[in-house]
Amino acid sequence: MSAGEVVKEIEGKVVELGGIVESITETAVFVEVPRERVRELADWLYNSGAFLKTCAGVDERSINSKFAVYHIFGLDEKGLDVVVKISGLEGEALPSIADAVPAAEWCELEARDMLGLHILGHEAKPRHVLPQDWPEGVYPLRKDLSYDYRPSGNAEKFSEELPREVGLPIGPYHPILHEPEYFELYVEGERVVDVFYRGFHVHRGIEKLAESQRFTYKTIPFLAERICGICGFVHSSCYVLAVERAARIEVPERAQFIRSIVLEIERIHSHLLWLGIAAHILGYDAGFMHMWRIREPIMLLAELLTGSRKTYGINIVGGVRRDMDESKKKRALDVLKNVREEYKKFVEVLTAVPEIVKRATGTGVLPKSDARALSVVGPTARGSGLKRDVRKDYPYFAYKHSSFKVPVYSEGDNMARLLVRVDEVFESISIVEQLLDALPKGPIAVESYEIPPLRKAVGTVEAPRGEDVHFIITGHGRPYRWRVRAPTYQNIPALKVMLRNTPLADAFLTIASIDPCFSCTDRAIVIRDVRSGSRRFVGLFEGRRYASR
Amino acid sequence: MQVDRISSPLKLLTIALKTGRVTKKYPFGPPLLTESFRGAISIDPAKCWGCGACVLVCPPNALTMRFEEERAVLEYFKGRCIFCGMCADVCPASAITVTKEFELAATNLEDLKEGVIHRLSTCAVCGKPFAPAAELRDVMKMHPIAEEYANICPECRKKRTAKAFGLSFGANI
Repeated sequence: MSAGEVVKEIEGKVVELGGIVESITETAVFVEVPRERVRELADWLYNSGAFLKTCAGVDERSINSKFAVYHIFGLDEKGLDVVVKISGLEGEALPSIADAVPAAEWCELEARDMLGLHILGHEAKPRHVLPQDWPEGVYPLRKDLSYDYRPSGNAEKFSEELPREVGLPIGPYHPILHEPEYFELYVEGERVVDVFYRGFHVHRGIEKLAESQRFTYKTIPFLAERICGICGFVHSSCYVLAVERAARIEVPERAQFIRSIVLEIERIHSHLLWLGIAAHILGYDAGFMHMWRIREPIMLLAELLTGSRKTYGINIVGGVRRDMDESKKKRALDVLKNVREEYKKFVEVLTAVPEIVKRATGTGVLPKSDARALSVVGPTARGSGLKRDVRKDYPYFAYKHSSFKVPVYSEGDNMARLLVRVDEVFESISIVEQLLDALPKGPIAVESYEIPPLRKAVGTVEAPRGEDVHFIITGHGRPYRWRVRAPTYQNIPALKVMLRNTPLADAFLTIASIDPCFSCTDRAIVIRDVRSGSRRFVGLFEGRRYASR
Repeated sequence: MQVDRISSPLKLLTIALKTGRVTKKYPFGPPLLTESFRGAISIDPAKCWGCGACVLVCPPNALTMRFEEERAVLEYFKGRCIFCGMCADVCPASAITVTKEFELAATNLEDLKEGVIHRLSTCAVCGKPFAPAAELRDVMKMHPIAEEYANICPECRKKRTAKAFGLSFGANI
């Protein structure tokens, strides 16, 4: 079936359910359905192969006095996004689609917390994003709340969350832990029986900040780049892609190539970083050192091409800010050639070391069915036999000018996810080489552009960790609503499946195996023995102690 | 197979021996930067007009413009700077250059601040200070036609226009 026929079919279904098709663009279909029928549509889309990307709650009271929730589905095979809107007046209940599409749970809870929406079936659930001491009835993403609002805070409330067992209340806010994220593992002896996760301790309110007078379309790429310290360029690319799609800006081809090249360089450095960390967690520190040694020339290459080792700062709406000349191109090709040779030699060693192979094989298994239900993304999905890659499914920038394979492994264990990343580094090096060779001439940015208000667009970019989604409703001078969904958001719920009934010693690698990058990564783990009721707090890297026992 | 399992990890030894030492003798030895590196910016006070274009584009508000009595202060706070170089891109006077300076640590917060102080020129009608003198001087150089009203503050200019407009319709002002 061609994309056109698919759009017709969706149109038919939406009209049948009493909804309307708002607009159709090359990459997305925007529809609105009556809220009581949304479950049927979600069910139908999900069963016809769509993945749920995310949903976004929006306060549209200043436009039509309603609150809206946008569910963003992606038809991978057709490269088409389907954005389903439901809306209701303040206080009106909106239905949940989480029972039909399990992946929707997190984002619906987030919409409930941030906008105070009444979403059916989620009333009794504990707070998801907002901290426990956040005042009742204050909803950060409502437009009438100022972006610099600071609650007075009520520290006493925290005691409610503390455990009944004797335990030191260290973390999630402990300053010496890497980052404040909180896993509570319930163990029976050495076996993990359940997992509790509480995240969003480092929620910085970036979405709200971008809607404030402080920022404009031009400065937000720099803000977006700071969402993540490792894959920042992905976020700024994703933002500009969404804005360019909303405003229908034709970006010069040379800029598209440069963006793709830098994105792939970022993927190489990110995967090398992860492979090093994985070796480190498993106690193979020689591997960690050598992987990071190999990574160093890539960092310098990024600096040569963009001006900075990280947070490159070259993305702007309508193009890029730094060009590459012939000498830089040549030097880049030389660096890549050396890195490939060194990496190839070393990866042979890494994938043969018993410490790695034995610990990674068969641990942290995520079956394909669960991966599908939770709509996981990136290497986590590809390690579980799902062939999902935004670069192939929803071509953007210059990827259509390069040929590459999407490595897929069906085992679903930590080794599979490791091997996906090992293979992807080779593919990325080859993509950069192809694009450098074919770099077209021309300008690197459009001279001027206009961004009309109240246009909607979805931008998706394949980050090293998976699919990154930015949803934009344009406003005056800055986005009316900017929704960011980092890949780890989609992958964390899968950890529950991976960790259950596995030995405790494997938990550390398993959690790391999704390459977690909360806003950014945080890694505190609590181990609680179900029988004795004792608690211990350990950092992720301390897991090595368990490995050596 | 068994031999392979033992010998493969040992290949690391040959890799390590061949690579040798990679640790750099920083801060001695050759610089670690490439020619594209963007570090702290430097503002040339002789060229700066005080127009504030850089303040408008600065994403983290590292550049701020403060108006005091008879002067305007353009302040650069390195502690907030993200080294994007947008200010250098937009500067109409090419007063801002991106340097390769990155060793910026200081023991005193004030050491991270730099500023350019501009004298404000006063309005020819009401006598209030209103715009950096350097900006007026350079605007007049670029657009000589602006000379007759450039030394009047926007407030008085508005009044004058309104008055002229009113008079032309015969209003009694």
